Amino acid sequence: MTPIQPEWTSTEHSMGTSIMAVAFDGGVVMGADSRTTTGSYIANRVSDKITPMHDKIYCCRSGSAADTQIISDYVRHYLSMHAIELSEEPDVATAAKIFRTFCYYNKGQLMAGIIVAGYDDKKGGQVFTIPLGGALVQQPFAIGGSGSSYIYGFCDSNYKEGMTKEECITFVKNALSLAMARDGSSGGVIRLVIIDKSGSSREFHPGNKLPEFWQG
Amino acid sequence: MNTPESARGGFCFENAIRNSVLSANGYKAPTARKTGTTIAGVVFEGGVVLGADTRATSGATVFEKNCQKIHYIADNIMCCGAGTAADTEHTTQLIASKIWLHALATRRKPRVATALSMLKHMLFRYQGYVSAALVLGGVDFHGPHLYTVYPHGSTDRLPYVSMGSGSLAAMAVFEANYKDGLTLEDAKQLVYEGISGGIFNDLGSGGNVDLCIITADGQELIRGYAKENERKYRRPGGYKFPSGTTPVVPGSEKFKEQSKDFALVTEQDGMDVSA
Amino acid sequence: MSILQPNASVRGLPNADPRVASSGFKLGEHHDPYDPLDVAHPAAPLSRHFHPYEDNGGTVLSVSGGDYTIVASDTRLGSGYSVPTRYVSRVIKLTDKAVLASSGMHTDIAILHKVLRIRLTQYRHRHRKEMSLEAISQLLSTILYYRRFQPYYTFNVLGGIDENGQGWSYGYDAIGSHEKVRAVCSGSGQYLLQPVLDNQVEFRQMAADPTRKELQLEPCVELVKDAFTSTCERDIYTGDLVEICRITAKGVEMEKFELRAD
Repeated sequence: MTPIQPEWTSTEHSMGTSIMAVAFDGGVVMGADSRTTTGSYIANRVSDKITPMHDKIYCCRSGSAADTQIISDYVRHYLSMHAIELSEEPDVATAAKIFRTFCYYNKGQLMAGIIVAGYDDKKGGQVFTIPLGGALVQQPFAIGGSGSSYIYGFCDSNYKEGMTKEECITFVKNALSLAMARDGSSGGVIRLVIIDKSGSSREFHPGNKLPEFWQG
Repeated sequence: MNTPESARGGFCFENAIRNSVLSANGYKAPTARKTGTTIAGVVFEGGVVLGADTRATSGATVFEKNCQKIHYIADNIMCCGAGTAADTEHTTQLIASKIWLHALATRRKPRVATALSMLKHMLFRYQGYVSAALVLGGVDFHGPHLYTVYPHGSTDRLPYVSMGSGSLAAMAVFEANYKDGLTLEDAKQLVYEGISGGIFNDLGSGGNVDLCIITADGQELIRGYAKENERKYRRPGGYKFPSGTTPVVPGSEKFKEQSKDFALVTEQDGMDVSA
Repeated sequence: MSILQPNASVRGLPNADPRVASSGFKLGEHHDPYDPLDVAHPAAPLSRHFHPYEDNGGTVLSVSGGDYTIVASDTRLGSGYSVPTRYVSRVIKLTDKAVLASSGMHTDIAILHKVLRIRLTQYRHRHRKEMSLEAISQLLSTILYYRRFQPYYTFNVLGGIDENGQGWSYGYDAIGSHEKVRAVCSGSGQYLLQPVLDNQVEFRQMAADPTRKELQLEPCVELVKDAFTSTCERDIYTGDLVEICRITAKGVEMEKFELRAD
């Protein structure tokens, strides 16, 4: 009689995720849930899926945890080398293109959906998405991960051009709360990163203090 | 082909094609010893406590009742391993060696993050085929660190972690009882309770509780911190097999004649069958 | 098609093939995904994802001496790497002179024991006497063979005293083949236990010794306790508690004995 290995012992660590980023005039707001799962087991309920690439460039990771961690390690390395050679802060687009290059040329072996966002002096706050196949698209706002499919309608109807930083923060928090409520592989807390000219700051919203406006 | 086996790095794939033909023809490849395991770790003020059970299984059979699953990486870093026994053993040995060379080259004490990134890059390179699930803990000049490393190369940094088939049992205990700012004694007790949870509720885990305490002053490995599964009963009188118990096959007297030069087996040499 | 392949794993996702997803489970069709000879038909029903058999482990034994029989079973119910319960009885007293112990899949054990109890009650009412050990052994065999092609996933040992006052044990496979022996065991610890019984009860691999005496009841109970203690050192599906039934002319007496719990 062979004991049956539970599926989570062999399944790849993956992030069924809700991530998003919104650009406002002069910066970006990035947000993510904190759930990492292996099969049906929550391997980490407070993970940090918003990873720094440079002082004012961050990325939101979705897909395989192993793949996205390694890619972002490499991109951080290349980007810091590039910034030293340049003697100035790198462009957000540069970071996004390095990501795109990794994701496109290794697309057969990777499971990575990434949102790159940040601020540079040339073009202000910017948001880029790199979906599974390795395309690179700039958007005013981006959503990603398994939870995003639940909030396309909400985001399309609630996004307004020219929102302030505070309006963007509320928009991100509301959208992520909705996604986390419906998507089983998203949950935990909401982490936010707000980037502007002066640098980056973080916000933390515990799972028991999320917006519940939609519950009526 | 001319290089001796030991001088080459990496794995040898010489028989890969032959073996795939063999397995296509129904010849079963040897299975690796996968151990059901409970390993865990908790951070406390000034250090980390790592814990592990001591059972190694192969299918439904217990292969080893008191094996050591807490592996040495450096004097200030230890690593608990779950998954394929050979993979955890060799991965930790390899990283221990690389860490020591790195420490000599940089003339600095090893850091936990260095060991972590060496482990994750190696495991990522092998895409999950090296199935080592690890709990890495240690203290360096940044303070105490505790990480988990999954076979595919993903890592997490948390104040309390568990791994292996008994990780759910251990995590249930941690989620119920963990508090920030534990003392050393509280942390030892918590890890012991977590591992016990695995030992008693997960069939892949069993035996004793091993603990390892790492602080800035050094590390202490406690084998058999708790021994709650000692044998409880022995048959009174034991088993006696007097000399001559095994029948002699007729015609083998000739061999007996030849074997006179060998040492004679007497009563005192009897095999210990009490266990 | 290996019908006795235990499989408790929960298959993750339903098959995406619409031909498969729409049809339901059909009785009697089991597909073993690990069996290279078991080629799934493309239009096979959903039953290829349904695994009706599970092995819950457990070790059972029966040892007979001149005027007694000892039937014993541990009480752990295992499932994969979990222990759903540490105390479940796998032994059933059929009459004052016959006890059955079964390992394998627990749902089938429960049903088999129920069926046997019904048949024995019917026999008692029709014939105004208890069924003999010999008759029970044949009845059990018939009940098992009746399900030759969808067997009860149970491995039984039957022990008791026959009409001459002589102790006997019977060992079965899942579909009713049986043998009358002195000592037999079954279940997850079978391969650890059986050689010990062969050597200590039947004196196999031992030179003939005219002074050797047959094992008496109490020394035999001590042997059974030791054998179970040893088995659960190495078999993960055996443990927690062992129920030991002494069957003598006086009737059936049950003792509970503690084993390791890890």
